Amino acid sequence: MQRGNILEKLHTSEEAQRAAIKRAQTALGGIILGKNEQITLALACLLARGHLLIEDLPGLGKTMLAQALARVLGLSFQRIQFTSDLLPADIIGVSVFRQNRGEFEFQPGPIFSQLILADEVNRATPKAQSALLEGMEEQQVSVDGTTRALPDPFFVVATQNPGDQIGTFPLPESQLDRFLMRIQMGYPNEDSERELLAGDDRRSMLKNIEPVANPEMLIALQKSVRGVHVSEALIDYIQALVRHTRESADIEIGLSPRGAQALVAAARAVAFVENHSGAFPDDVQAVFAAIAGHRLKPAGGTRFRSPAELCQHVLDSVAIP
Amino acid sequence: MKVRPRGTDGSLLSSLPWTMAALAVSVAPHLPYLPIWISGAFFGCAVWRYLIERRRRALPSVWFRALLALACFMGVLVTYATISGVGPGSALLAIMAALKLLETRKRRDQFVLLFISIFLVMSSLLREQYLWSLPYLIISIVVIMTAWLRMSADHDEPARQSFSTGGRLLLYAAPLTVAMWIFFPRIAVPFWAVPMDTGTATTGISDSMSPGDVSKLSLSDAVAFRVKFDGPIPAARYRYWRGLVLTVFNGRTWSMNDPYEGPRVHEEVSGLSDPIQYKITLEATRQSWVFALDMPQSWTLDSTIMGPQQQLVRARPIDQRVSYDAVSYIDFSTNANLSKYARSWYQQLPDGSNPRTQALARNMRSAAGSDNAFIEAVLRKFNEEEYFYTLEPPPLGSNSVDRFLFDTRRGFCEHFASAFAVIMRAAGVPARIVLGYQGGEINPIAGHLIVRQSDAHAWNEVWLPGYGWYRIDPTAAVAPDRIDLGANDAAFEGFGAAWGSSAQSQFLQRLSMALDALDARWNDWVLGYGPERQNQFMEWLGMQNPDWQKLMLTMIGLVLALIALISLLLAWRYKPPASDAAALLFRRFARKTGLEPGTGETSTRFAQRAIQSGRLPAAAVESVTSAYHDARYGPGDESAIARLKRAVDAIR
Repeated sequence: MQRGNILEKLHTSEEAQRAAIKRAQTALGGIILGKNEQITLALACLLARGHLLIEDLPGLGKTMLAQALARVLGLSFQRIQFTSDLLPADIIGVSVFRQNRGEFEFQPGPIFSQLILADEVNRATPKAQSALLEGMEEQQVSVDGTTRALPDPFFVVATQNPGDQIGTFPLPESQLDRFLMRIQMGYPNEDSERELLAGDDRRSMLKNIEPVANPEMLIALQKSVRGVHVSEALIDYIQALVRHTRESADIEIGLSPRGAQALVAAARAVAFVENHSGAFPDDVQAVFAAIAGHRLKPAGGTRFRSPAELCQHVLDSVAIP
Repeated sequence: MKVRPRGTDGSLLSSLPWTMAALAVSVAPHLPYLPIWISGAFFGCAVWRYLIERRRRALPSVWFRALLALACFMGVLVTYATISGVGPGSALLAIMAALKLLETRKRRDQFVLLFISIFLVMSSLLREQYLWSLPYLIISIVVIMTAWLRMSADHDEPARQSFSTGGRLLLYAAPLTVAMWIFFPRIAVPFWAVPMDTGTATTGISDSMSPGDVSKLSLSDAVAFRVKFDGPIPAARYRYWRGLVLTVFNGRTWSMNDPYEGPRVHEEVSGLSDPIQYKITLEATRQSWVFALDMPQSWTLDSTIMGPQQQLVRARPIDQRVSYDAVSYIDFSTNANLSKYARSWYQQLPDGSNPRTQALARNMRSAAGSDNAFIEAVLRKFNEEEYFYTLEPPPLGSNSVDRFLFDTRRGFCEHFASAFAVIMRAAGVPARIVLGYQGGEINPIAGHLIVRQSDAHAWNEVWLPGYGWYRIDPTAAVAPDRIDLGANDAAFEGFGAAWGSSAQSQFLQRLSMALDALDARWNDWVLGYGPERQNQFMEWLGMQNPDWQKLMLTMIGLVLALIALISLLLAWRYKPPASDAAALLFRRFARKTGLEPGTGETSTRFAQRAIQSGRLPAAAVESVTSAYHDARYGPGDESAIARLKRAVDAIR
């Protein structure tokens, strides 16, 4: 009897999780038009407990996506606009001397939020960048010799202008690696753009979004994602892909074991979002460019114009075992 | 540290004990027959070799080994005086296996050792085959197989696994073995002859009788033969199993007459009662006597003739178990005429032997008046006077009959028969002694009669004018129970009842009867599966006029069919990992679509392409894809595979 109850509860909670995901997708799709793929990836990235790097030209809705994510998932949100004069303290916070009490009091910076939008992260100096990146890696920050834990869940959605623009400090590979996924927004298609132009103001729409989840539920979702089945056959496929990136003449630096782990985690998350019975090769392919794009270093004189093209080439060259 | 380049590397340490165990199991059945020094040498070599491996010592040098081999060969030659035959052959095999251990360095040598152990196991069957031979054979082969598999086993593979693999392999081979055993053409005269060991002690009755001979036999519980009657089993007092007839007495020992001496005219026998039909399965005796119920009229054993005194003799010794049908008359008469020569032959006594007996006989004869009355008087004397039936009679010197009749007065059937015959002959009544068995134990489970060596018996025949030869059993006069109940059931002095009446002993007796029944069946159908049985069985199977060509062809055909069947079974039982099965099924589906999956094309995209091609209904393709995903990438579920198989099969 009791066992039945528990199973029922589990079942309904799974149902509830799926419904929440569905609603989140719908809500996000209502604001960011025609970018279902990016929305799925962004959701999957958060479900896989990863940080997201959105890279594209200004005005393509990067910030909008990050804000909408925070809102939909019911997370506390802070935006940090990275500029060349940004200091680490502007991100982490400072200790202020309180005269009435005669002691220092820590004033938490914007990083103490569940979802941080680090806007134009490559505009800040490496010093400011690293303040953020330490938090991303450790989920804690050190201020004046004290270690302070960051909230849980903790996500960083960073946006970045393409590196070839003026006045940027491109993130080095080691720091790019901290981001589970890097996605591009791309221009909207004709229909979506038309709807965008004709429709309501997106910012006011954002305020009207009802959260479909809360931090507790998100943690539960992340747990469910880690339970998605990964079969031997899928591991075979992932290993084949990784091996190819390491052996291919087109690629100088292939995927690291951490990159392969990221691939598994992200494939699980997408499988969960797509309601698959396990992680499928489709899920791996769906996340491959987002996972591998910023981790692979193409060989000099590469014939591929973009990382996405390189990743597609890898997918097209590796047989699914 | 000093390096020993010639030392062993210890690599055989894990598999060598197994090889030794296989050797030990295969040598064990030979142990009772092997000279003690070979068993000792075998054990010594095994321990030595193990210590060499254990302590990483060097193997003995070539010269040493060669000398040892030569010495052992000479030893066998000295022990047996020959090297052919089962005994010396198995002794050589055993000692060579022991010596081979001393030069076992590599896996190849271990293979040789295991081959030798297989030979040893098989050669033990040449000696004798029992009920337990087959189970033991199977156990030995499983042990040998395990040892074999241990050689190639990984270090972390448990011995249990090798054992079960060995057993499984044997199980696969079993149908082939049975088919070949049934159909391999049996021929009456084998192509090969196994040289039997000469000088092996014969069992059962010997061709002469001195006091103490038969009573020695009485201690043996071994089965002499089993009898299956077509009709009801005759009462114990009629069950005299005629063997050989002794006619010559030298004062102490009774023996048969030389075939070229003595009366050679066959006595005609006519049956007076209904014929009794039965089948005897005679254990190997390595002698020529063939036993049958007194008086045999016809028999089916090959090269067997009836001697002039109605004894059955086979031209070659019975060196393996034989069975034959026979017809006998319990009530019979021999022809009443006895030639003068024959008459005098059956009256012969050595001059001056047993004078007291001779005098007694003459007195009694003249007092009795007629032969019949005389015989009755003698039997009455045995019955009424103080004569005792015992298995442990005191020793008798020369003039044994005198000593027995007048002094010791204790004896077994041979004493009474011998004394009776001497008394008869001394009084001029032709008499002789018949050796055979009397009685036998009925096995209620199998419905046959077991005649054991302990049932060995000696009785007399006297010739009465106008009647012919007449059977008289003087032992019956002394110990009627011996005849009515059988040797085992009669309680004798110094020889308690073999079976009590407690529940436990009853259970034991039932168990022993069941075992006997099983043994008889086994002997009859398995060990006795010869040309005749095979013919019978083939005809029962519906083969007309079975001959060896037909049998051979059937066997080859059957074996091929069985191999195919077993291979199919194995292929069918082989379960590839679930994901692989799914992949194979999906590949089959891909072939059915007529499209070639691209490199890196996921099943989902391939399915879309298949749907777009319009050749297959979208629903069918989708059900395949979803089942494939569940089976191959979902959490392992057997039903998904079944679903996938159905979905793929549904597509034409």
